[in-house]
Amino acid sequence: MAKTGKERLEELKPEIFKCIHCKACRFAYSGEPSKKGIGEFKGKQGTVLYEGMVDSCPAGIEYGWEAFWNAGKIWIARSILNGDLEFTEEVRDVIMPCITCGQCSAQCENKIPTVDIIESLRAACVEAGIPMIEKHQLVDRLVKERNNPYGGDKDERMKWAKDAGLEKFINNKDAKIGYYVGCTASYRQVEVAIATAKIFEQLGIDFTLIEEEVCCGSPFFRVGAVETAQELMKKNLENFKNLEMVYFSCAGCYRTFTVDYPKWMAEGEKLPFETKHAFELVSDLITQGKIKFKPNKELKGKVVTYHDPCHTGRHFAIEIEQEMIKNSKNLMLDMRKINQKINEWFEIPRVILKKLEEDVGIVFKEMYRIKLNSMCCGAGGGVRAGYPDFSLRTSSLRCDEANAVGADILTTECPFCWRNLSDANDLYGHELQVMGVLEMISKYNLLEIVK
Amino acid sequence: MIGIVGKNYATNNKAITASYLAKSVMGLESQIADIVVRPKYVEEIRKILLYCSEEKIAVSPISGGLSGGFACPTIKPAGVQLDLGRMDRIIEIDEANRIAIVEPGVTNGTLWAYMEKYHPDWAPPIADGAPPAATVMGDAIDRGFSLYTSSVGPQGDNFMCGEVVFPNGDIVRTGSWALPFAKPFYKYGLGPDMWSFLMGSQGTMGVITKAAVKIFPHPEFKTVVAWGMSNPQDMQDVTLELGMKEFGVAHNTVMVQGGNYPLVMTRWPKDKVPHDYEFYKEIGFSKWWMNWETWAQSQKELDNAVDIINNHCKDFAKNRAKDGAAMKQQELHPKQIASRMKKPNKIAIPYSFWEAGFLFITFYTPWNECAHFAEMYNAAMKKYGFPEVMWIASIERCRQAICMPIICFDSTKEEDFEKVQDMNRETTEYALKQGWLNYRPDPYIHAPLTYSQAAMYWKYLRAWKKIVDPNMIMHPGRLGLP
Repeated sequence: MAKTGKERLEELKPEIFKCIHCKACRFAYSGEPSKKGIGEFKGKQGTVLYEGMVDSCPAGIEYGWEAFWNAGKIWIARSILNGDLEFTEEVRDVIMPCITCGQCSAQCENKIPTVDIIESLRAACVEAGIPMIEKHQLVDRLVKERNNPYGGDKDERMKWAKDAGLEKFINNKDAKIGYYVGCTASYRQVEVAIATAKIFEQLGIDFTLIEEEVCCGSPFFRVGAVETAQELMKKNLENFKNLEMVYFSCAGCYRTFTVDYPKWMAEGEKLPFETKHAFELVSDLITQGKIKFKPNKELKGKVVTYHDPCHTGRHFAIEIEQEMIKNSKNLMLDMRKINQKINEWFEIPRVILKKLEEDVGIVFKEMYRIKLNSMCCGAGGGVRAGYPDFSLRTSSLRCDEANAVGADILTTECPFCWRNLSDANDLYGHELQVMGVLEMISKYNLLEIVK
Repeated sequence: MIGIVGKNYATNNKAITASYLAKSVMGLESQIADIVVRPKYVEEIRKILLYCSEEKIAVSPISGGLSGGFACPTIKPAGVQLDLGRMDRIIEIDEANRIAIVEPGVTNGTLWAYMEKYHPDWAPPIADGAPPAATVMGDAIDRGFSLYTSSVGPQGDNFMCGEVVFPNGDIVRTGSWALPFAKPFYKYGLGPDMWSFLMGSQGTMGVITKAAVKIFPHPEFKTVVAWGMSNPQDMQDVTLELGMKEFGVAHNTVMVQGGNYPLVMTRWPKDKVPHDYEFYKEIGFSKWWMNWETWAQSQKELDNAVDIINNHCKDFAKNRAKDGAAMKQQELHPKQIASRMKKPNKIAIPYSFWEAGFLFITFYTPWNECAHFAEMYNAAMKKYGFPEVMWIASIERCRQAICMPIICFDSTKEEDFEKVQDMNRETTEYALKQGWLNYRPDPYIHAPLTYSQAAMYWKYLRAWKKIVDPNMIMHPGRLGLP
């Protein structure tokens, strides 16, 4: 029996009650007050001092009220559990515009799983009979009708593969490795899907695309439509059950399969396959010396920066931390190991970027807020669909940061981040080129197998 | 309210009003306000206070940060929560006169980053241990402590001049600022000092809208010297002897703070760390210890200060200590030193990790009574089933001690709340008999118990409040004031 939002919220009560309302969670680098930065930069969204700790909760920055910063929401959850507050549309309208980027969780000294709490709060709100906001209702209807929230024709989910000459991989029955493409790469950023599949092909991986693939459910877990999400989860688990390994190119889908599914599955159930993001594979092959990149005149000298998607970056890091804490017998001694593991996780995409710098001649330059302290692109948590103006302003803030380090190309590893950053780039005139790292490798034909 | 601040900055939205709750760290009394207002300008505050005074509506101001939990949580009757977070300008840094002028919403983190970048030779008096979102102003009004408090005194003393709006509609500037063209260079200004009237007022008198605060040199040469011992008496006595070297090393020791080993233990989940002292002994912690964070203008001066501290501790251990054999210098790893010198820091936050919630119950005592306080309070915590967590710091070269037991409890359990308050009442009664003062009195235990023993003081406090707040709207009940 799958869990309800209210049950998850009750489970999280000891965590919710740990919040002392210190508000350290509003900052990136809340524990590094003297961190040297890049100074003040006047961008499209105003001037930011990139030194020490920086306000980094998108909803708090946008709306200002205490309720929109993380700590305010945790105290709303506590008030609900204590019976001091009931779910109403007022509550919904405060808890929904949160990108669930997890910056707050990363800053919390009491290790409060804030994203879990906010998502459970939303699920409990929906269960209490409070209607979802109109735009979320629309995507909920679309996914039920068409298996994707974009309204794309369900029969055209694999059109990108057919158009790119990759048809042979659709329902490739002998393969034990799958590539879960996701809705954004299937219907919007097809460049990401094509790039990923072509890299697999070039690497000689026998993989399959599953034509019956449906939305991973990520937007619905985020906005509290847990029933819809769980329906999608069941379909995907059925469709992919015979595989040993499933690769992803979307941070959100990867996070949903790997982190959310086990949490919302019934007690004792486990994922029937392993999961990995494609960048982990590429990074591993670089480390093993099995691949390298070709020089490229067009890219040489270009300043490239990297945006850590929250779903593959911070959310996984927090998951690693929570899991290791759960298993630790002496956390005082184990904390260093946990931090080391988290740092290793964030280095995975950087192995690729550093290799591109070495082989191709790009100039890899980090933004100020990176890794665990990365600033969100503004797309997640149902915000892109529900609150597009806020979402794009947040994305523009991130583009400002890329401009602040003089980037020509802003890379990422998530089609959803890609979409939002690209839209903000166009809307606000940041004059960046936005692309996926794997997309860059594929587009410029950079991959070389070491014999 | 909307007519005063605009529709975007006043609300009675229940979710928003509930989001300001904070039953932790400094108090457990927080209630949901009826409405929250976020003014930006002094004139808006004046109009809000005049309106609320006329309508007899309670007003509780909070500065932008929360000073480790709300410094001024709304209590019954709830009324208006005045969130001053939008007043967040750093107005001026004047290096020659060594002054920073800030609005109430300026956080420790923001001011620190700003000064590191633009005035790196100077440090603002942010509170050591208060989280980065705590505000400079909030800590001042609590007359708390700063990162160089042992050298220069309580935080309230670091403030030179202020601007305050009273509910009677008056805007008063204190100190030299009372003259229209004067710089904020002299605290005592035109005669009797009104600034002190606001210190410790917990939002019961008026709303401070601007303050000029001292900044101090931020030298490159810094370190932490630490000594361990077996008991609080030796910790108290050796620290006092060093604090009394007033024209020497005492001024170099900016932050002098110590405590016992459960201070380390309770920063981790209860079921994930050893409770037995033997483990802490093995990793180098004494049962009690004292840190002297030492700043100097040159390496030579720093070396000299460190030598004086170490030699004095050795001499004390040999000749005057209760348990000299247990006294030893603690060798700190450079990372430990860097961590202890980090400002602002999150050092006070993770005590919720132990179970789910904690409370600081803080008292001021004469320094040479802090060991007595520690022993009394640890016994009480043991009796009530809480870990014995004690932190003690010197204010103004050991003229006072700020003693802070940290009550780590499970706030999901109603019975734990009751136990905390029972212990709080019992220990407060004992403390008052010794003449020890509560630092941030809670409205239902500390304030009534304290003022019941200081009736004349309370009479004048009330009379003065009546002048500036004729309808008694400012945070009623907070200090036992109606």
